Amino acid sequence: MLSLPSVSSPDAAFFEDLKVGREYISPGRTVTETDVMIFAGLSGDYNVLHTDAEHMKGSLFGERIAHGLLGLAIQQGLASRGEPAAAHGLLAAVKWKFKGPIRLGDTIHVRSRIVGLKEGVEPGQQLVSVERQVMNQRGEVVQEGETEHVLGSRTP
Amino acid sequence: MSSPRIDTSVAPSQVYFEDVELNVPLETPGMTLTAAHVAMFTGVAQDVSPRDDGFVPDLLPLCISSGLGWRVPRPPLAVLAFMGFEWRFFLPLRVGDTIRSISVTNAKRSLREGGVVIEERRIVNQRGETTQAGKLTLLVAKRPKP
Repeated sequence: MLSLPSVSSPDAAFFEDLKVGREYISPGRTVTETDVMIFAGLSGDYNVLHTDAEHMKGSLFGERIAHGLLGLAIQQGLASRGEPAAAHGLLAAVKWKFKGPIRLGDTIHVRSRIVGLKEGVEPGQQLVSVERQVMNQRGEVVQEGETEHVLGSRTP
Repeated sequence: MSSPRIDTSVAPSQVYFEDVELNVPLETPGMTLTAAHVAMFTGVAQDVSPRDDGFVPDLLPLCISSGLGWRVPRPPLAVLAFMGFEWRFFLPLRVGDTIRSISVTNAKRSLREGGVVIEERRIVNQRGETTQAGKLTLLVAKRPKP
């Protein structure tokens, strides 16, 4: 079973502080070629989609695109800057759709909304479900899905 | 006469939609999770969550499994796009743990342009315990017509 990390941050959020329907909007972030190359090296995913500019000229997208999982990692980081479940809860589940490409130079941000709060299996553990949309600078949803986080209670 | 241009559109051998075999498990080599992985991942994700030493970010093993998936005894899959996934987290991983991924294609559906492949994947630790697992949906190219 998932155990919670030792968190002593003053702004730590507890289950009791959250409400269904609460919405959060993250800061934005421009996804760069550097991000893509670091992610290629880190993950070992050197697919031509992300690394071969010449090949991609003739593709569906016309240019290199960011790894879908890089977008997922970046949105998790963006969400950690303000959404309590992302900052303080471990992930229990993710259901995710990659709806469109994130191109090098695109600026994305995350809109999230708490859609579910329920007791976990272990005492003192609660599950928070969050719907998230990753939007680009044109207001298009490029990724979306639902994340489930394990969060501690004020009175474990 | 212009000098010959290197045709970079010629890809090495790939597994196209038609070639994808169902129910054949593929197991990757292992990867020991290090503090370097965590530092790079936290940097690129810009995750500001407070975490203790040795903590491995939840999404890092999934990202590493995507690269490990290229290192199986089969040419790489001709992926056109990653369409989505469903994933569950069962056991936390720590720096020093060694992961590998085991995957199997259990469904494929032909479309006009390419085809959809459903892959079940699990990430196991050095004790063979499943730490994370789920289902990935990929759009794969069809074999180019001669």
